[in-house]
Amino acid sequence: MNLTSTHQRFYQIAIYISGFFLFMEWLRPLEIIGEFNNVSIFFIYAAFCFFISFIQLNWVVSVPLKLLGLIFIIDGLYIGERIFSSNWFTIIYDQILYNIQVIQGQQWWQMTPMFRSMLFLVLLWLMSYLLFYWFIVAKRMLVFVLLTIIYVTVVDTFTIYEGKWAIIRTFTLAMISLGLSHFYKEMEKEEISFKSNSASFIWLIPLAGMIIFSLFIGYSSPKLTPQWPDPVPYLTSGNPGAGPGGGAGGPVQKVGYGENDSRLGGGFVQDDTPVFQAFAQEEQYWRIESKDTYTGKGWEDTLDGEKSAVSPDDLEFETFTDQVETEESSTYLNFTAEANFNKLVYPYGARSIEQLPNNTILELHSNTGEIDTIRDGSMTQVEEYLLEYDAPSFEYNELREADSEDPEEIREQYTQLPDNLPARVGNLAEQIIEEEDNRYDQAKAVEAYFAANGFEYSTEDVEVPEENEDYVDQFLFETKMGYCDNFSTSMVVLLRSQGIPARWVKGFTGGETTGGTETIDGEDLNVYEVTSGNAHSWVEVYFPDQGWVPFEPTQGFSNNTDFYLDVESDNDSDPETEEENEESSRADEEDPANPNQQAEEEGAESEEDNSAAGGDGSSSLVPLWITSGILLLGAAVLYFTRFRWLAAYHDRKLKNNPNRKTFEQAFLFLLKLLEKRDLKRRSHETLRDFSRKVDARYQSNDMRQLTTYYERLLYRNEIDQKQMGKVTELWENLIKKALS
Amino acid sequence: MSNQAFLYHPKISEVLKNINRVMIGKDEEALLSVVALLAKGHVLLEDVPGVGKTMLVRTLAKSLDCDFKRIQFTPDLLPSDVTGVSIYNPKTLEFEFRAGPILGNIVLADEINRTSPKTQSALLEGMEETNITVDGEAVPLKSPFFVMATQNPIEYEGTYPLPEAQLDRFLLKLKMGYPTATQEMEMLARTSGSHPIHEVKAVISREELTELQKEVESVYVDSTVHRYIVDLVTGTRTHEGVYLGVSPRGSIALMKAAKAYAFVQDRDYVLPDDVKFLAEYVLSHRIILTSESKFEGAVPEQVISEVLSNITVPVQRNVSE
Repeated sequence: MNLTSTHQRFYQIAIYISGFFLFMEWLRPLEIIGEFNNVSIFFIYAAFCFFISFIQLNWVVSVPLKLLGLIFIIDGLYIGERIFSSNWFTIIYDQILYNIQVIQGQQWWQMTPMFRSMLFLVLLWLMSYLLFYWFIVAKRMLVFVLLTIIYVTVVDTFTIYEGKWAIIRTFTLAMISLGLSHFYKEMEKEEISFKSNSASFIWLIPLAGMIIFSLFIGYSSPKLTPQWPDPVPYLTSGNPGAGPGGGAGGPVQKVGYGENDSRLGGGFVQDDTPVFQAFAQEEQYWRIESKDTYTGKGWEDTLDGEKSAVSPDDLEFETFTDQVETEESSTYLNFTAEANFNKLVYPYGARSIEQLPNNTILELHSNTGEIDTIRDGSMTQVEEYLLEYDAPSFEYNELREADSEDPEEIREQYTQLPDNLPARVGNLAEQIIEEEDNRYDQAKAVEAYFAANGFEYSTEDVEVPEENEDYVDQFLFETKMGYCDNFSTSMVVLLRSQGIPARWVKGFTGGETTGGTETIDGEDLNVYEVTSGNAHSWVEVYFPDQGWVPFEPTQGFSNNTDFYLDVESDNDSDPETEEENEESSRADEEDPANPNQQAEEEGAESEEDNSAAGGDGSSSLVPLWITSGILLLGAAVLYFTRFRWLAAYHDRKLKNNPNRKTFEQAFLFLLKLLEKRDLKRRSHETLRDFSRKVDARYQSNDMRQLTTYYERLLYRNEIDQKQMGKVTELWENLIKKALS
Repeated sequence: MSNQAFLYHPKISEVLKNINRVMIGKDEEALLSVVALLAKGHVLLEDVPGVGKTMLVRTLAKSLDCDFKRIQFTPDLLPSDVTGVSIYNPKTLEFEFRAGPILGNIVLADEINRTSPKTQSALLEGMEETNITVDGEAVPLKSPFFVMATQNPIEYEGTYPLPEAQLDRFLLKLKMGYPTATQEMEMLARTSGSHPIHEVKAVISREELTELQKEVESVYVDSTVHRYIVDLVTGTRTHEGVYLGVSPRGSIALMKAAKAYAFVQDRDYVLPDDVKFLAEYVLSHRIILTSESKFEGAVPEQVISEVLSNITVPVQRNVSE
């Protein structure tokens, strides 16, 4: 290897390495913004692929090597079986089959982590190939550098990723790689060769100086603050939050918990002020109160009279009966200074409260479940308390089999509707539930109605009903757009119109986990932060045997209550109930999160605090990214390798069917390929003149010979079939030389 | 010549070898002369005296087993000196035709521009037709018939430049040029003994030559090449420095010459390469430059090469772009 090529090799390696580190800048944010726990493995695999690409092994060697690497990673991360054992292959096969079905069904969010990782590794593989081509073969760094900078800035802007150092690193790497590749291209163009090693490195001094200088200037110079408002709040303001607080105000309010719900409607702005922190087993509804009377404009509590002092040891309030399975648990709540409501916030099944400040009296409104906290004669906010509760789990079959004999008082209070409710509301409700024969499925049908009929979640531009308009009627038939209040009120009204007792409940959703855990009474609890934005309203439906069961009609939210299917009771049941069970288990699957609505709301949900919906939403983005990324990359790889596969294509055609047309196509393709290799035939040049140039470059006689055959075809319109073997051979030789 | 690598037609190869034995460094001119001969055209050599014009023609004539005639044109030369004259024979009491030098196979017309137009036209008529008219009677010319005319570019006093209309009777116009120093030394070495021309033997008979000329006519010219020729000729007509472009006769001449050139290379079809190579020789004496471009120092050869560099060579036929 002579000196010049040693230098070129050095430059190549340096360019390639800086390119690799640029690529690493793409992977780095994944650890923070994505659900990647093992980013270092991806780093290593990327490095491995880059290395293999660089040493330019024959694909027969390199492809299996990269594939092996991929398999080892997948094996190490996800598969417990011994590698390459028959079980191992079964797992892989099942996984791939399953995920392909999922992809065909466009249910991206259901892809398994293993398959996602696999796709991601394939993506890295393709990237290594593509970037090798970009950096070493095409020597074009600029596009990738620009893309990297754009990527870092976008990720910095829209996610929690802090791109300050990333942008500095990217800039430095960009300068180095651009500078070096420029030198490299100049060296090639001017055919510069260095007498000694030191001479070539003198070149690098000004480059290094320039980089350090501009880094210094860039780092130390004052930076403008953003010249436009941060786009993130604007973009996420369409984010689902919760019902507005004081309803009667103007059309735009601030989200949060409020007491007056007599006039609902109007949009509101998002507010992420933390209200309280909760240590809890899992996400659950934080209930405050329910309301019973629908006025046509909003909710009022007409039974507000019955108040009674309760002891902290027994809250005396139950929303469900003893028949319901429960699990003992405790939770600790700590309110922020921003919170100002003088009521208890409690989970379903709250039994007793501890660590209340002295002199605090609890007053329970037995109808609504509202528990006022009173100290020294006036309502005050309690900063923190510990709650013991029995978390309920409702059994599907029991709910389905429950009879509909409601106690008189329940029916009276909770099927109330205003007299002027338009008849079409009732008609609609009848239609929705007509196929269902039990209360649970009827309630489920109403709950699912909104998602199935294109109702949209929105906190902006939500109409306030006119004087002679009904709030529910307007939402159901005209706007079809709103937030939790619209959905929950509508569900209650629809159910009531069919004589099913239901009530409207207010409180908070489960909040966002901070990732921390705390131990209380030997129980490990997750820490959730609940903000004003988590204020929410939902529905409780009455079942005579079970009591009040929560339902969640709002688009993009999911029911935090636990439902289960008692499988053991199936064993001795008759075929009819079995069938029913199948149905119910299907319902069960659909229950936790309604997939279609997830997909539609993916953008909004990433900051959504609402339990499973939020989690699923962000993870459903990843496969979408990966798929579109892979598609894009696939297209890019196809484009950048077009000469290779086109060569294979023409070769095949030429061999299978050697005739005038295939030969001509193949020859013209060769001309194009040569043009790509800086051997362009100028239009006034004859083929013969051109062939001399080509042969001079490749030190052979092939082009001249091939041209002779082609001339015969072109200017004599004749083709010698006997010579086609020779023609193909010459053509292949030239293609090989041009591609290498 | 740049394409030495190509094979020549075996017969032609013999002729060229013969010429090469006598002439040094004149391969291209020799080849082009043979091309003109095979294409049944004539050659105008424009160069100073003493560079070997006559020697070239004589060697060619000898190699071909043909009559060689030479006419030295002078201002007082009469047409009958070219065509021949009828003389009264007292014995037979009849006029007898004494053939002039034009009735040879290969005729060297030296310094054609020094004679009067009348005499020039006597030669040019013969070149165009296959016969001449003497005393009102048509006398057929010999076959093959090949004229190589020379003209002296430096002496303008007392010359009668050939009119443009007549210049295009010549298929090719060549320039001999001086040999290089080594070539000239080699030449001196060779001519120190007996002149090599005496050793030249005929390699092609007259009949064979006629046969070859027929074969040339059957060389295939594809429509793609036709298109190329037409593009080229049209290019000379639209070039801004040209007052009068190449006539359609020029297109035909270019094609004929290209056929002969292809044949010489032992190929039965014409390539754009052939056309491109011959364009300068076939076309440059067929265009008239504008006074402006002449004033700017342009020469026809330069214009032709400009036109060539603007014409696209066809490289595909079955596959559309």
